[in-house]
Amino acid sequence: MSAPAVPSGEIVYEAAGLTKEYDDGRVAALRGVDLTIGQGEFVSIVGPSGCGKTTLLNMLGLLDRPSSGKLHFRGRDLSGIGDPAAYRAREIGFIFQSFHLLPNFTVEENVQMPMFGLPGSPRERRARAVELLEAVGLGHRLDHLPVKLSGGERQRAAIARSLANRPAILLADEPTGNLDSKNSAHVMDILLRLREEHRVTLVMVTHDQELARHGTRIVRIKDGQIVSAS
Amino acid sequence: MNFLQVIFRGLWRRPVRTGLTVLGIAIGIAAVVALVGMASGYEKSVVDQLDTVGIDVVVSNMQGGIMPKAFEESVREEIASMPGVGEANATLMQMLSVEDAPMMVVYGREWESFTWEQLQVVDGRMPRDARENAVVLGKLAAEVLGKKTGDKLQVEALEFDVVGIVDGKSVLENGAINMALPRFQAASGYEGRANFINIRVTDGLPPEGIESLCRDIEARHPGLRAVQAGEVVGTSQGFRMAQAMSWSTSLLALVVGVLGVMNTMLMSVFERKHEIGVLLALGWSRARIMSLILCESAVMGFLGGVVGVVLGAVTLAILEQTPFVRGFLEPDLGWTLALQAVLIAVAVGIVSGLYPAWRSSRLSPSTALQG
Repeated sequence: MSAPAVPSGEIVYEAAGLTKEYDDGRVAALRGVDLTIGQGEFVSIVGPSGCGKTTLLNMLGLLDRPSSGKLHFRGRDLSGIGDPAAYRAREIGFIFQSFHLLPNFTVEENVQMPMFGLPGSPRERRARAVELLEAVGLGHRLDHLPVKLSGGERQRAAIARSLANRPAILLADEPTGNLDSKNSAHVMDILLRLREEHRVTLVMVTHDQELARHGTRIVRIKDGQIVSAS
Repeated sequence: MNFLQVIFRGLWRRPVRTGLTVLGIAIGIAAVVALVGMASGYEKSVVDQLDTVGIDVVVSNMQGGIMPKAFEESVREEIASMPGVGEANATLMQMLSVEDAPMMVVYGREWESFTWEQLQVVDGRMPRDARENAVVLGKLAAEVLGKKTGDKLQVEALEFDVVGIVDGKSVLENGAINMALPRFQAASGYEGRANFINIRVTDGLPPEGIESLCRDIEARHPGLRAVQAGEVVGTSQGFRMAQAMSWSTSLLALVVGVLGVMNTMLMSVFERKHEIGVLLALGWSRARIMSLILCESAVMGFLGGVVGVVLGAVTLAILEQTPFVRGFLEPDLGWTLALQAVLIAVAVGIVSGLYPAWRSSRLSPSTALQG
C-alpha cells in the first residue's frame, strides 16, 4: 500500500500512481507511488537495495519515464515535456553515488558542464565554477583531474557541479554511499549548508537511517511502494 | 571553457586512434589532390600548348582509343581549301618509349608549317629540311633522355641526329621530340598518314563562323572530329578517361575515409556511453550531444583535409620529377583545389558522424549512466 506524503508549503512535485515496469511487466520497480513534495523540503527516501528508490529519483529528474501514472512538476504534467534536457538544465541538479565526474576534464571544467546552453559567457561560467568549488573547499583543486582527488573531494566537486545551473531541485542518489564515515559527515554538512544557502528542495535517496534523519520528511519504500511517510 | 575545447578534449582522449583516423582521411584527400592535380595539370598543359602554338581548331579521329587514329595526310589539302581556313597543317603525334625513357611525346610536324614557329633554339640548330635525319628536343625531353646536341637518338626503326635543343614555351612542347613529318612517318611506319590537322582560321572569323567550319569539316570527313582549341581537353576521350579514373579512385579513397571516421566515432560513442549519460543528466540536450559528435568528426575531417593537402602537394612534387610525368604535364595544385579538398574532407567528417551522432541521441540517460 502506498501512503500519501503531505508537504507543507508550495507543491513542487505531485506523483499519482507512479509505476515503472520492465521486461514486459514481469518486473515492477515502482508500483503505484503517490508522493507530494513541497518547495524547500528535504525529503529523504529510504529503503533496502532494489526497492525502487533510485527509479523514483530518476523519474523525478526525467532520466526515466514512468510506465503509467502521473507526475506533475509545479502543476505541469511532466509526461508532456518534449525536451527533458531543458527541464533538467533549468530545474535539476543531480548528485550521484559514483560521483560521475568526467575523467578527461578538470574539476573546474566538470563544474562548468551543466552551464553549457544557459546564458553566460565562458568567463562567467568559469567564475561561477570557481565560486562553487571554493564554497565546497576545493578552491585549491581547480585544475586537477578527478582521478587525482579523494572520494570525499570528488563528491564535493559533484555537489558544486549540481548547483552550477542554479537549480530549484537537488536530486541526490546515495551521496555518501561510497565514502567513509568521516568524509560522509563532511559531505553531508556541506550539502546541508548549501541547501540552506541556495534555498533548494532536496530529495535524497539513502539506505543510511542516520543520514535520512537530516531530512524534514522521511519516505520509506519497500518493493516499489511507499510504506510510510513522516 | 568553450564548446570547441570540449570537442578537442573528446578527440584527445584517444590520441592514437584520432591520429590514425585523421591519417586515413589525409591519405584519401592526398589521393584526390594528387589525381585531380594531375588531371587539371594535364588540361592546363594542353591549353597552354594550343595557346602557344596558336591553333584555333584541331581535327582528329578520336574514335576508340586514347591516342587519335591516323588518317590520310591528304585530308589536310582538302581542309586547307575550305573557306574560313587560314592555314592548315598535318601532324603525326605518338607517345612512345624512346631509349630509356618509358614514355615520350614524339611529333612529326609538317615542314615549314606554323607549328615550328614557337620553337626557339636554345642550343644547336633546327633541321635543314624535311629530308634531314634530324630531331630537335624540347629542353625537358633532352633532360629526361640525357641527350645533348650532337648525340644520336633511336626512335622506333630509325636513328636520328640530335641537331638542337628548343624551348617550346609550354610543358608539352618542352617535353617533346620533334622532327619533320616524313621522317617520323618513315620511322613509325605511318607513311602518308597523320593524326592531327591543326588549323588557324582566317583573321576576323567570328566564333559562329569557326563553329560552322568545324561542322563542315565533320560533314565532309565522316569519322573525323573538328574541335575548337578551348574544347579540346573537355572533348578528349583520353582526358575524360583520365578524369573518370582520377575521380573514381578519389571516390574510393573517400569511401574508405568515411568508413574509417564512422568506425572511430561509433567506437567513441559506445565507449563514452557513460559520459553521454552524465551530460544528459546535467541538462545537455540530445541536439547538443549530436552536435558534439558531429563537430568531433568534422574536426577530424578538417585536420585530415589539411594534412591531406600537404601530403597531396608533396606527392605531386615527387610525381613531377618522375619520367612518366616529366614533360607531359605540370601538376596543378591551386588554392581552389586545396580549399575544395579541405571542404570535401569536412563533408566526409560530417557524413561519417551522422550515424554515430544519431546513435548517441538514442541513448537512454538512465541506462547510459550505468555505463
